[in-house]
This record gives sequence, C-alpha cells and structure tokens, in this order.
Amino acid sequence: MRTSALDQDLFAAAVGSMPADELSAVRNDAASRFASLGFPTARNENWKYTNLSGAAAISNAWLREHAGVPFSSASITRPGQAESTLLRQIDANWIVIRNGSVDMNSLERTRKNYGAVINFSHLSDRTAECDIDVDDPMSAFNAALLLDGLHISVSPDSDSLTPLGILQIDDPSQQASQVRIVLEIGRSSSLRIVECALSANHGAQFTNAVIQASIASNACLSHVRLQLRGDEHVGVSRITATLDRDARFHHDAFDFGGSLTRNDVVAIIAGTNAQVRLHGLYLASGNQHIDNHTRVEHRVGPAVSDEEYRGVLSGRSRAVFNGQAVVFKGADGTDANQSNHNLLLSSQAEIDTKPELEIYADDVKCSHGATVGQLDEASLFYLRSRGLDQGEAKRLLTQAFASEFLSELSVEVCREYLTSTLDERLADLVSDRHL
Amino acid sequence: MSNMLEIKNLQARIAGNTILNGLTLTVKAGEVHAIMGPNGSGKSTLAQVIAGHADYEVLGGTVTYQGENLLALEPEDRAREGIFLGFQYPVEIPGVNNAYLLKAAVNAKRRHQGLAEIDAFEFLKLARERMSLLEMDASFLNRSVNEGFSGGEKKRNEILQMAMLEPKLAILDETDSGLDIDALKAVANGVNALRDPERAIVLVTHYQRLLDYIEPDYVHVLSKGRIVRSGDKSLALELEEKGYEWIQEAANA
Ligand SMILES: Nc1ncnc2c1ncn2[C@@H]1O[C@H](COP(=O)(O)OP(=O)(O)O)[C@@H](O)[C@H]1O
Ligand SMILES: [Mg+2]
Repeated sequence: MRTSALDQDLFAAAVGSMPADELSAVRNDAASRFASLGFPTARNENWKYTNLSGAAAISNAWLREHAGVPFSSASITRPGQAESTLLRQIDANWIVIRNGSVDMNSLERTRKNYGAVINFSHLSDRTAECDIDVDDPMSAFNAALLLDGLHISVSPDSDSLTPLGILQIDDPSQQASQVRIVLEIGRSSSLRIVECALSANHGAQFTNAVIQASIASNACLSHVRLQLRGDEHVGVSRITATLDRDARFHHDAFDFGGSLTRNDVVAIIAGTNAQVRLHGLYLASGNQHIDNHTRVEHRVGPAVSDEEYRGVLSGRSRAVFNGQAVVFKGADGTDANQSNHNLLLSSQAEIDTKPELEIYADDVKCSHGATVGQLDEASLFYLRSRGLDQGEAKRLLTQAFASEFLSELSVEVCREYLTSTLDERLADLVSDRHL
Repeated sequence: MSNMLEIKNLQARIAGNTILNGLTLTVKAGEVHAIMGPNGSGKSTLAQVIAGHADYEVLGGTVTYQGENLLALEPEDRAREGIFLGFQYPVEIPGVNNAYLLKAAVNAKRRHQGLAEIDAFEFLKLARERMSLLEMDASFLNRSVNEGFSGGEKKRNEILQMAMLEPKLAILDETDSGLDIDALKAVANGVNALRDPERAIVLVTHYQRLLDYIEPDYVHVLSKGRIVRSGDKSLALELEEKGYEWIQEAANA
C-alpha cells in the first residue's frame, strides 16, 4: 500500500503563491486549520477504511508545480465526446467547471437563461455574506487552495423551470482541482440541479469538491449527482445542506466511476417540518473503492428524513457506508429512516456498512437496517428455465436491484442518460472477470 | 411415434438425501401423462431435475430428450430446446417486468432456432391473445414477475409463459393446487388449447380434480422416488377413492 502523506511545506508554499484578493483571509484561515490537521488517516474513525495516500501523491506533484508560481486558471481544453454527449442528452442549463475553473462562456449563457430568478456570482465577491465551511480537513484543504468559487442564489418565491446543470470535468495527469459552490435557495423557491463529474481522459487526478447549501423556509433543493470519473481518479466530495422550516432537500447520488471515491453528505435540519431524502446507488468493479458517509442532524422536530443507499459490488471492489442520524435533545416528532442494501456479485468484493443512530429526544420514530446478499438463486434458475442465459439472468436481477430509485428521481431530465449509463455499467459488473 | 422423453433408472439426491430411486418413464409426442403421488414422493424433484436445477444431483440413470442426453444441457438450453417447467412455487421477482421476461424468453428461443426476433407489435398481439384465453387482464404484462400475484394469478402466469413459448414438452408441477374452480377451468383451457400431436404434456398433480378437465392418456403413481404403478385415467379415479396407501403397501409388498 502506498503511504504518501501530503507535503506540508509544498502546501504552505503553494498557499503563499495564491493571488492576494478578497479570498485571501479565508484561504489563510483554512490553511492554518489544514496545517494542524493534514489529510485524514486511518486513525480518524471516519476514515478508517479509506486511504487518501493516492490523493496525497497527486496533490504533492501538483503542489510542487505550483509552489511559488502564481496560480492561474487552468488551460482550456476542447470538449470531448463524453462531455458533448452528456450536454446534449440532459436538458439543463449547463455550467462547465473544467479542471476546477468555471468556464465563463457557459456561466454567461446560463446566467442569461435564468434572468432575475437566479443570481450567479464569484465567491470572491460574496466573502462578506457567506461562511466558508472549513471544519473538515478536506474542506479546509479545499478552501486554502481555492482560486475562486461559485455563489448561486435563487430569489425568493421563484421556480426555476429548467434544471441547472453543473458539469465538473478534469483532464488527466497529476491534476488536483478544488471546487466550491455556495447555494442559497430563497424562501418558497425551488431549484433542481443535475451535477455530473467526468474525467476527460484516463490518468491520475484528484478532485475535491464542496457544496454548501442553505435552504430557506418552504424552499426545495433537488440535487442529482452522477459520478462517472475515470479509472485512476481519486475524488472527494462534500455536500452540506442546512434546512429551515418546511424546507426540503432531495439528494440522489449515483457513483459509477473513479478509482477511489469518498462522499460526505451532511443534512442539518434546523427548522420544523423540514424533509430530507437521500438516495444513493454505488456500483463498483475491479479494484474500485467507494465510501459514502452521510450524517443527518435532526436539531429540531417534527421533521422527517428518509435515507436509502444501495450498492452492487463485483471483482475485488470495496465499498463503505456509514450513515449517522442524530436526533438532538428536544427534537420531538422526529421520523428518521435509514437503510443500506448491498448486492455482492463476487466473493472477493467487500462492504463495510454501519448505520448509526444517536437519539437524545423522547418522542421519535427511527428505523435503520443494513443487508448484504448475493443474487437470489431461485430467481436465477427461474429466469434460466425460461431460456435466458446465465449472464442475462444475472444482469436482469442486478438491474432490478439497482433500478429502485429511478422511478422517483429528484430531477427528471437525467433519467434517460442515467438509465443507459446504468445499464452499461451493470453489464461491466456482471461480466467482471473476478466473478 | 418416437420417444420425446425417456427416463431410465433415474436416481437423484438433494442436500444429501436420495429422493429419486430408479425412476423409469417414457413419454411420446402427443401424449398427456399425469404423475400423482403423496407429498414428498419426489414429484417436484423429478420436475426440477428435468428442468436442470443445479441443487439436484443426478447419481445414476439416464434422461434422453429427443434422442439426446438431456442432463448435459444447461437449463437455458433445455428451455430453448422446448422444455417448459411450470413451477409449483413460481418465484416473485420484483423489478423484472413480466412483459420483458416473456419477450426475452420468446426471443431467446427464436434466436436458438435461427429465427428473427419477434417485434414489439407482434409480441403484444400474441400476448394479449394468449391472455384472453386464460382470462388474464392485460395489466399483468406491466407488473413485476409474479410480484404480489395471488396463488391463482401466479399459476395463470405460468400457463401464459407456456402458451407464449409453445414448448414441445411441458411439465406442470401442481399447477392446479390452490386454484378455485374458475381459475382451474381457465388453466385447463390454456393447457387443452396446447394439446397437439407434436407436443407432450406431463401433469404433476396431487388430486384427480384437474384430470376432470384435462384428460390424461396415462396416469403414474410415484412413491418413494419410483413409479410404482401406471395405468389409464381410471387409475386416478381409483386413487381418489382409495387414497395412496393401498398402492404404497402393494409396492412395499
Ligand atoms: N432443497 C431441499 N433440501 C432438502 N430436502 C429437500 C429439498 N427439496 C425437497 N426435499 C425433500 O425431498 C423430498 C421430495 O420432495 P418433492 O420432490 O418436493 O416431493 P413432492 O413434490 O412429491 O411433494 C421431500 O422429503 C423433501 O423434504
Ligand atoms: Mg411438489
């Protein structure tokens, strides 16, 4: 196992070469926080199973290149086939973030399309109003090296009809990208986002993306995230959503790609009658590693959270699920449900699943459960007895298991793309040679 | 007429228990056979072995289907070669669409025969036609395979699959059990519509009631894993009257 650690000297030099601008104070704060934390290691309970030394190695190479050299936006690359197909097939107003930098043409186009409904600005122009979250070490690393970020606010009482698309795409070779998006969903308004993460090529890259969302009273944020990174990609992502009274947050995460992926989803229920729904599907084959950590804080009640993650693992892949639901003292009327189901297609695949409930209130309804299983032999035989070959029977049953969330997608426009991507991935998994 | 299925001295076990103890049976095209016998006598085991269930281990004997060694074939190849098993307990498969399975099954067989796949329009037309024969609502096509179906609906669904696949050899394992009289008649209609000089049907049943609607050419009694008596349909009536014990006693004697 590689055991590279992040080189703090390179990090300090790189932070020192960042431009002097409105974000400087934020970066310096974040940098001193990160300097004391470093990349998380297995000693940190939350990172027990996920080793970031690959990310450290890529980051060191990248920081070395940038140490003492003023940062600038990454070079423009031309859209590739995968990108064009995606943009064509999903009907959304797209903002493209290439190698960590916002593509200005796409931003301008999208800004025009939404008019007064959604305001887009640079994070550097909004430092006074928003709190850049740096609690977590990776989030601090992100903020310390942030060239800029996006601030997106939806006006109160408005409904943006066309979903917002956010495409994060990265080129290969020792590239480390830090992306941060701050979302403010105004009172009684709604926003649907489809976010896709792609790799332009195969090659080692590390991306570290943070979304911070605040959802005002009676507002709704629906967010589908589709991660289709390349096979040498190391990705860390974090989304934190804070919900006010009667607010809703629907998050559907589809993780199909990447070499090592770690997602953190944090939902904070700060207003009564808020609703959180988290759906996740992870598919891993070969040596892929996918780690989902979620945390739902019921700070007040009544409120509802429903969470279900499903995974299909083949080859020697490994997945981690950790779901925390915390019901604070006094958060009576909380209804929190959580489950994690896993289908193991190979005896060498591995899942560590841990639903965690912490309840400090009296009047609550909570449920949680986890299952790990194989394809049902009786169903397989039934399908084969009808003439379907073994591979097709496996694929069908796996698809049935994995398609659970497709009938209630938070953002409809990506259904077709998602369905065909899912079918393709499942065909890979079922034919994984390590079966 | 040539033998469609020839079973000689078949012995098979599951989970270490030998269930079939030298079973011999010959079925010709155009014939309808009924296999009766007490619970646990091995009727379903026989059906599963013919369909190719891997949990059943064949210890000895031969099964020849259309002149070939059936036991060498994978379950899907047996199906494509024209064998159909109507399960005693059809499985529920949430998330797999009933119409999808029917169409995939029909096309798997057609590909095997070197025929073009059936198109969506032809398929629907055929499915609707067969469903009306079984008095099944067309809405069953859009449901998941057997999911939430009542006992009778599951059995009708088995017969629908059979009617779509038009097998050469159909083995129906207790397709009659748990059916009310209307469902029984509908199922019998479906089976009778498939009676054909080219096709053989083996009805596995515990009761003679089904045989009032589907008249068998031969009736066999299975006991402790072998056929202990064979006769015509009057044997079924005799069994109905006297129970199985006299035959078992006669066999043990
Ligand atoms: N999966 C199994 N494991 C162990 N024993 C089994 C299994 N399936 C069937 N048997 C046994 O085999 C015997 C014959 O069963 P079966 O063929 O289902 O009988 P029938 O259909 O005539 O009622 C029974 O004693 C039953 O308990
Ligand atoms: Mg039986």
